[in-house]
Amino acid sequence: MAVEDVIVEPWYMMQMVQAFLQAPVYHIVIEVLLIVWIIGLLFSKSYRIQERVQLTEKEKEDLLAEWQPEPLVPDTPEDHPALHPRVVSGKAGLKVVVDGKECLNLATLNFLGMLGNKRIEKAANSALYKYGVGSCGPRGFYGTVDVHLDLEDKLAKFTRTEEAILYAYGFATIASAIPAYSKRGDIVFCDEGACFAIQKGLLASRSKVVYFKHNDMEDLERLLKEQAKDDKKNPKKAAVTRRFVLVEGIYMNYGDIVPLPKLVELKYKYKVRIFIEESLSFGVLGDNGRGVTEHFGVPIEDIDLISANMEMSLASIGGFCCGDSFVIDHQRLSGQGYCFSASLPPMLSVAASEALLIMEEKPGIFEELRTRCKWLHAKLSSIPGLKVCGEPISPIMHLQLAAQSSRTEDTTKLETICNECMNQGVALTVARYLEGEEHLLPPPSIRIAVNVELTEDDINDATSVITNVAKMVL
Amino acid sequence: MDRTQPKGSPRVPAGTMGDGGTTYSGVNPNAVWLNSRGIWLSYVIAVTILHLILLSIPFLNVAQAWTLTNVVHNIGNYIFLHMLKGTPWETNWDQGKSRLLTHWEQIDFGEQFTTTRKFLFLAPVILFILASFYTKYDPLHFVFNLSTMLLVLIPKLPQLHGVRIFGINKY
Repeated sequence: MAVEDVIVEPWYMMQMVQAFLQAPVYHIVIEVLLIVWIIGLLFSKSYRIQERVQLTEKEKEDLLAEWQPEPLVPDTPEDHPALHPRVVSGKAGLKVVVDGKECLNLATLNFLGMLGNKRIEKAANSALYKYGVGSCGPRGFYGTVDVHLDLEDKLAKFTRTEEAILYAYGFATIASAIPAYSKRGDIVFCDEGACFAIQKGLLASRSKVVYFKHNDMEDLERLLKEQAKDDKKNPKKAAVTRRFVLVEGIYMNYGDIVPLPKLVELKYKYKVRIFIEESLSFGVLGDNGRGVTEHFGVPIEDIDLISANMEMSLASIGGFCCGDSFVIDHQRLSGQGYCFSASLPPMLSVAASEALLIMEEKPGIFEELRTRCKWLHAKLSSIPGLKVCGEPISPIMHLQLAAQSSRTEDTTKLETICNECMNQGVALTVARYLEGEEHLLPPPSIRIAVNVELTEDDINDATSVITNVAKMVL
Repeated sequence: MDRTQPKGSPRVPAGTMGDGGTTYSGVNPNAVWLNSRGIWLSYVIAVTILHLILLSIPFLNVAQAWTLTNVVHNIGNYIFLHMLKGTPWETNWDQGKSRLLTHWEQIDFGEQFTTTRKFLFLAPVILFILASFYTKYDPLHFVFNLSTMLLVLIPKLPQLHGVRIFGINKY
């Protein structure tokens, strides 16, 4: 009897049971098997799928027996520089008082001389009396003060982008921005000489990192070509992979400038997104101090994200990212340093706003800074025994030994030079790295920072001091 | 059956969330929401409502309504548990770890044969048995019911955890 014949007739339980007794055998067999399987399933234990090799008891015992505990705090030599920090008293402006001695400051990154600027101090003081010292809350929980929104607005207008986002700590800016966009399964092409903050951001992002040789666009192109070949082999995977190129405007470890036009060309050819870390080039390069994009005349729309530290040119604390609205807005929920740290103290936001205003009012200081960089670079190049690394217009230059031997020897020589120079009134510092943690350890060097307030006399005096000391030590 | 703490998941202090796990911070909600209090009952009620709606359509007879309930339930099960990958929200804490995993593979962080998974195994089987009974073991209906039930049961087996046949739905 066909089932469709009984459309209007109600189905009685008797009929149903009858149908069950007349059911085909294969059907009953399958149902019985299912019920047996269910009962087996209900009594099965839960387990995890093992992905790792399981060690036998003996292997575990062997491993435990051969383990030698290392001390929690390893022995440090007595003369380790971290144990003898130089103490600065007062403001570290053009002249700094180190360990009681007044020296010319060529060590701190106060490029535009904003530290100690009376106008900024006055604005910060009135903000201090209005808002207090700290903000005591992350941006999402009553930590957003009107001065933060004001500063973000000003930064967006200054850099001519759509939106900017503020972070409370410079290191955390780029280290939060990278993992917000790049996740597992994505690829980041990063310069070998990138700073430590970038390296930590890449580690946190869990993406595949491909390092290209420092400032070598041919090497980058070769890697991009290889990636394009792999993508052709697996187009479905390529369709869900995001690709980024991460560079710095001026590299902290080397002092050279990224060749941006070529990079933008590669961006459009191989479809990658560019992130630039502009801590050292913001407020230094370009006619109006807008950074490496203005310096090369590259339209800012070509760059996907710019991240910068406010701890250098702006002499405040914290950092910012700027770019298109839909890019920057994502960080408001995904930027770990934005969501889970207290916001920038209002006093420092106001100081940064004021510094930005000064930068807008006096666009001549950028050319002045670059002139001084060029003078210092030229003078330092003529010192026998030392060579200068970095572009002439970069405010950071590294003095390396011309004849390099082992790392410890070179570092000791450079430290001696620094100490002697300090005795003679020039404050210098050896560039410090976490030696076990850096991806590519640069050669030991003295890192020199240029200040726009340096006069030609200052530069000449400093150079002669360094020359004499170098002659003495080397 | 203790449903308050799925095995292998991050420990939560007793009494924080009360029930089986709507969410605790830093954890993929997809992995724990099906352990929540009342979810299984809601599932059963949802299937019942679907069946009642299908029964109300005048030109379907009882057998067709049952088969349709079974088929629609199984297809919905397949799409939501085995076809859609990843999560509908940002996973800020795990950097996209579950981007390529289906919902089934994310349940209870990949642990096999937990109570939720057993419940989801049971649902299509019980529906199949009921549908067979109410269609009076008709062969044509049997074909539809069995094929959709197999479609939904086979991807749930632990042997097929993370397996993508012919690379379909892999990325």
